[in-house]
Amino acid sequence: MNALSSMDLIATAGRTPWHRASALSKIALALLILLLAVFTPSLSLLGVLFGVAVLLALSARVPVRLLLTAMAYPVAFALLFVLARWDGTWITPARILLRPLTCCVAVIWLMGSTPYPDVFAPLSRVLPRAVGDGLFLTYRALFDLIDRSGRLWRAIRLRGGAEGSARRRLSLAGEGLGTLVLYGFERSQRFYATMQLRGHSGRICGCRHYADVTPADLLTLAAAVGVILAAVTLWGRP
Amino acid sequence: MTHLHIPDGILPLRIWLPGLALALLVLVVSAWLTHRETRPKLAFQSSIGALMLAAMAIELPLGPLEYHLSLLGPVGVLLGPAAAFQVVFVVSAMLALVGHGGLTVVGWNALVLGAGAGIARPIARALSARFDPAVSMAAATACAQALSGALWVAVMLGGLRLVSRGRWLHDTGTPVLAALAAPLWAAGVVIETLVALGLGRFLQRVRPDLLPGRAPLPGKDLAR
Repeated sequence: MNALSSMDLIATAGRTPWHRASALSKIALALLILLLAVFTPSLSLLGVLFGVAVLLALSARVPVRLLLTAMAYPVAFALLFVLARWDGTWITPARILLRPLTCCVAVIWLMGSTPYPDVFAPLSRVLPRAVGDGLFLTYRALFDLIDRSGRLWRAIRLRGGAEGSARRRLSLAGEGLGTLVLYGFERSQRFYATMQLRGHSGRICGCRHYADVTPADLLTLAAAVGVILAAVTLWGRP
Repeated sequence: MTHLHIPDGILPLRIWLPGLALALLVLVVSAWLTHRETRPKLAFQSSIGALMLAAMAIELPLGPLEYHLSLLGPVGVLLGPAAAFQVVFVVSAMLALVGHGGLTVVGWNALVLGAGAGIARPIARALSARFDPAVSMAAATACAQALSGALWVAVMLGGLRLVSRGRWLHDTGTPVLAALAAPLWAAGVVIETLVALGLGRFLQRVRPDLLPGRAPLPGKDLAR
C-alpha cells in the first residue's frame, strides 16, 4: 500500500507535461496500450509497447525504484505461468512476461501522472452510482485508515500483543481491527454530516475537469498515433 | 490466498471476459438492490472497503510466514451480500490499479471475493439465534474464507491447466499444486476465523448493534 501512497504523491505533485494533460486522453492511451498488449500475437509489437510504456513512465518522473518494485510483482506471478508453458524456447516466456509488464507499466504511468479523483470521475459516469461514489469514498478513507492501522499495530506490538500463542495474537489483531471498524463507522457519520452541510447533491464527484483539454494533450495524441502506427506495422510479424 | 494475483495478458479472453461480464452484471444487480439505502450506509461501506485494503497491507507474523488478511467474512457480515460485493469490486479495482492482479482479472477477483463475502451475513444471521454474535461471525467467516479460498484455487489451477496445454502441469502437476495449495487454504480459514472471533467479541462488547440480528442503538442506526 506504500506504492499507492507514493503514486498519489507523484500524481499530485508532478509537474511534467503528462501531469498537465487531461485524464481522459491519458486513460484512452493507457487503455489502447493495455488492449494491444493483451491481444497482440506479435512479440515485436509487445516489445515496442513495453518500450513505449517505460518511456512514458520515466518521462512522467515515476521513480525507477517504484517502477522496478511494481514490475517485480507481475513478474513473480507470471513466472508460474512461464513454467506452466515452458517449451524450451525464449519466445513463449518473453511473450508471457512482456504482456503483464507492459500493462503494469502503462497503469503505473497513468496513476503516477493523474490524481485518483480524475481517474475515478469518468469511471463513475459508467459504473453504478454506489460503486462510482464508493471508489472516491474508499480512496478518501484509505490513507487515514492505513496510518491508523500502522499506529495500532505498533501499539499492539509495544504492549506485548505480538507475543504468546498464535491464537492469542490473531484474536488480539481482530480486537484491534474492531477499533478500526468503529472508527470507520464514526468517521462515515461525520463525513456524511459534512457532505450534507456542503449541499451534497447526490453525486459525490460531479467535476468534469478530467476532460479539460490542454496543449499537453497533443503529446498524448502523438503517443497514441505512434502506438497505432506501430500496431498496424507490426501486428502480423512474429 | 483469496485475491487472484494473475497479471494482465496471462488468462485468455474466453476466461477473463465472461468473469468480467458476470461481475459487472452482479454489480448492477447489487446496485439495484441497494439503491434505496441511505448515503451514510455508502460512506460506512466505503470505510469498510478502505479497512479491507488497509488490513491487506498489514503483515501478521506467524513463525516463518507472514499472512495478509482479507477480512472477507467480517465485511460480508457487517454489510450484507449486495453491499459487500460492491466493496470487494471497488477493492479489487483499486488493487489492480496499483498492479496487484491485472485489470483483466478484476471480474474474477470480485466474484471470488464476493462469493465468500456474500454468504457470510446469511450464515451469521442463521447462527446468531443459537450462538453469540462473535461465534456466529467467526463461523460465517470460516465458511466465507473456505468458499473463496476454494474458488481461488479452482481459478488458479484452471488458468494454469489452460495455459499449460498438455504439458507437465496439465497432466500431473495439477494434483501436486492442489496438494500444495490445500495447507495454505486451511491456514487462511483458521487465521481469518480467529481474527473474526476477536473482531466479533470487540464489537459485541462495544457496539453490538453493528452485528446482524441486533437492534440499532438509539440515534446510531445510520449504517444499517
